[in-house]
Amino acid sequence: MKKLASATDPLWYKDAIIYELHVRAFADSNGDGIGDFPGLLSRLDYLQDLGVTCIWLLPFFPSPQRDDGYDIANYVDVNPSYGTLDDFKRVLAAAHERNMQVMIELVINHTSDQHPWFKAARLAPAGSPTRQMYVWSTTNQLFEGARIIFTDTEKSNWTWDETAKAYYWHRFFSHQPDLNFDNPAVIEEVLKAMRFWLDMGVDALRMDAIPYLVERDGTSCENLPETHAVIKTIRTAIDAEYANRLILAEANQWPADVRPYFGNGDECHMAFHFPLMPRIYMALRQEDRLPITDIMAQTPAIPDNCQWGLFLRNHDELTLEMVTDDERDYMYIAYSADPRMRVNVGIRRRLAPLVDNNRRRIELLNSLLLSFPGTPILYYGDEIGMGDNIYLGDRNGVRTPMQWSSDRNAGFSRCDPARLYLPIVMDPIYGYQTINVEAQLSDQSSLLHWTRNMIALRKLFRVFGRGSLSFLNPANQKILAYLRDLDRGDGTHETVLCVANLSRFAQPVSLDLSSHTGAAPVEMLGYVPFPAITEAPYVLTLAPYSFLWLELQPAHAGPEF
Amino acid sequence: MATTDPASEITAASVRPGGELLVLLAAMTPEQLERALANLTTSFPAEGVLVASPSALPADSHPPLRIVAAPAANASWTLTAADFASAHQLADKNKAAAILMLGPESGGLAPSAIRALANAVLTAPTDLAVPCYELPPHAGLVNSAILYPLTRALFASRVRFPLAVDLGLSLRMAERLSGAAHRLTMLNQGEAPLWPINEATVAGFTIDQLDVGLLRAQPQPAGPDLSTILPLVAGSLFSDIDAKAAFWQRFRVLPPARNLLSIPEAASTDAAPDIAPMLQTFRLAYSNLYEIWSLVLPPTSLLGLKRLSTTGAADFLMPEPLWARIVFDFLLAHRLRIINRGHLLGALIPLYLAWVASHINITASGIDPESHIEAVAAAFEAEKTYIVSRWRWPDRFNP
Repeated sequence: MKKLASATDPLWYKDAIIYELHVRAFADSNGDGIGDFPGLLSRLDYLQDLGVTCIWLLPFFPSPQRDDGYDIANYVDVNPSYGTLDDFKRVLAAAHERNMQVMIELVINHTSDQHPWFKAARLAPAGSPTRQMYVWSTTNQLFEGARIIFTDTEKSNWTWDETAKAYYWHRFFSHQPDLNFDNPAVIEEVLKAMRFWLDMGVDALRMDAIPYLVERDGTSCENLPETHAVIKTIRTAIDAEYANRLILAEANQWPADVRPYFGNGDECHMAFHFPLMPRIYMALRQEDRLPITDIMAQTPAIPDNCQWGLFLRNHDELTLEMVTDDERDYMYIAYSADPRMRVNVGIRRRLAPLVDNNRRRIELLNSLLLSFPGTPILYYGDEIGMGDNIYLGDRNGVRTPMQWSSDRNAGFSRCDPARLYLPIVMDPIYGYQTINVEAQLSDQSSLLHWTRNMIALRKLFRVFGRGSLSFLNPANQKILAYLRDLDRGDGTHETVLCVANLSRFAQPVSLDLSSHTGAAPVEMLGYVPFPAITEAPYVLTLAPYSFLWLELQPAHAGPEF
Repeated sequence: MATTDPASEITAASVRPGGELLVLLAAMTPEQLERALANLTTSFPAEGVLVASPSALPADSHPPLRIVAAPAANASWTLTAADFASAHQLADKNKAAAILMLGPESGGLAPSAIRALANAVLTAPTDLAVPCYELPPHAGLVNSAILYPLTRALFASRVRFPLAVDLGLSLRMAERLSGAAHRLTMLNQGEAPLWPINEATVAGFTIDQLDVGLLRAQPQPAGPDLSTILPLVAGSLFSDIDAKAAFWQRFRVLPPARNLLSIPEAASTDAAPDIAPMLQTFRLAYSNLYEIWSLVLPPTSLLGLKRLSTTGAADFLMPEPLWARIVFDFLLAHRLRIINRGHLLGALIPLYLAWVASHINITASGIDPESHIEAVAAAFEAEKTYIVSRWRWPDRFNP
């Protein structure tokens, strides 16, 4: 019998609101300056009130912490800085009690060089099963078609190991050797780790760096058929033993290249839509819908049981890998005036600073996040408009402690401020005295309240998570208008018209809604009836950066206009 | 604004009753002065004309002319606030019917052209008569790149030389300019240029543009240094535009286009100047001034400049809309004092040189220079909504 998860609907992830957080950054219960599971436990009510239905936990495993936990030294334990396995179980149970699912990371492309497997591999004879847990070579000329991802720090994907007298392969940092998926023992070990957590009741696994699992010479070593075979093996194991679980793929690729990660509904349930995110920012800045409609036109259909994962920002840089050279130049100029805002091939900034802390822009982008086809993923702190610290190294600028209140250390920890794992944001605009949860909870007009209300609204309409998307094509390019439609299966439809003004100025728009003649639009935030749709063009005027969500209800005896 | 055909005949003016024409000459060298007086004698053989000059003139040297003294003026290659103040003062004192202001090179103008300028203001209802010079190719490019297109787009005027030094003024035009001059003098800017077209347009006065033929020598500043000239005239025009924002931000109808000027054949066969030094300056500035440019220009323009910075000399073309937006954004930055205005206008120079290089490339390909300048001006007009929106909502978060 399959082991059940907390969710009863196999497609629960389609209606989910995912909240990404780092245990280290969320709340510190023991005053050591590092967030932990008991701290997270104490803040679960906050997440529930916000409307979150799934918590995505960044890596919390034992690690040397040279890549913020993505360098794992033990797959089946908890980093002592964050608590114990029992602490994790308590969080898991408490989340489930609140009808929240929990997603954890399955970082299987690589381990830390401090993982026992790698330590043993270095010492093991060449060609032995222990050595073959990783990818070794006597030359660094192999797999030359593979690009370097961390261009700021790495010059090669090979690093010489003096002990092993061989080069080892790493697609990321040199302290993160890649596992060798040509070795069946590796897959067995990965499945063991996976079962460890799924048996505990974890609902979802985010598979990190999934395109790079297998290497073949003469290729880019990305998206190879052998990689898909590995994923299918993992999925088969999950489906055989567990019910209602989720695999989310991190594949920073063009949509057509991501599509195979869904397979025929037999690989990953979800995948991030990476190229959409920079284009949303591009469209906003250019005040032109084309970047969005263009990338959506390139987005292939996916199996019915699959879903896109949508996000505005996350723990990494705003990646610009999946844009053209011209688009990348534009994004750098538009969103990273200070070179310190850049890292690798992207921009390391949070949502609010990216849009110059403009509330209407933040709301507009969130309206797109919540109404586009896919599951929205919020990054911790963005619901209150947290800022970043570009003077911190790597991507730490967007991983600073959560700002709970204007108390010492932003209410994150009671420790000596010097002991914090990273300094709290303290600048005059985004500093914790100004931007914090407590203040925004007491302000009914705050971004936090707005976000909570929007999430609640979205959850009332399944069409957002499950419906189809069709763009309208009004003459005014500054207007993005689209219909979301869900066939309820009983002969009725749930249809929502979304109209967004990407411009900083008011804009008129004339929409061809003749295919919905007779329908009565109702503005969804205020339940305000709008004039009925006729054969004539439907004319709207939108305030700067405003958006409208109109539910197209069947004709009814509403007020005359 | 009315526009007349080239003045081909000398005709007697129906002089406004109650006074003579006052001709105010700019500070000139003795040779220039002699040519100008001789030209005036030819232009006005019969009528009594009052001539004022800051230079000492023998009273009977040119009998038809009645000489009066004008206040001393600094030699200037443009008309300054002080010049207009003097003009109005003299006209008032001598009860003149209208004023003709002539620059140092007016001796080279055809008598018919001088006569036409005078007639325009002596004959109601023209308030401001301005010349349209024929210039050799590649001459007067600061005007063509910035002054003319800006004035045309914002003040709906097709006057080709907004900073002309040969002008005809009605008395009320002189009075208005005197008022504007007074304001500048109060600000200790008596030597700053004034912008008659802008003043006349705002006042609703009538402007008449007259083709005056080839201007063989143009007024030149003492040290013709671009780093002095461009900030001076562009800064002055930017300030004037700022002061008149409430006017030009309303919709205005542009007068019909004039016939394009013909370029003298001899001049148009001149070899194109070498654009390599200009491009070198531009590319160097792209490295050194980028930080300043990024404070002024939006991402789309910066991206356009990035592309240009890697474009070879043979293919170097600055799109007209890009240039229009650059000028508009510098205008806005000038208004907002984003950085020191001197530094700001200095940072415009390499961009202007890039435009000049592009213009030279375009004209070298056989396109009539005036056609290209008209295309540039049309781009400024098309982008007027851009500057109005940026002006009203100067948010740096823009395309």
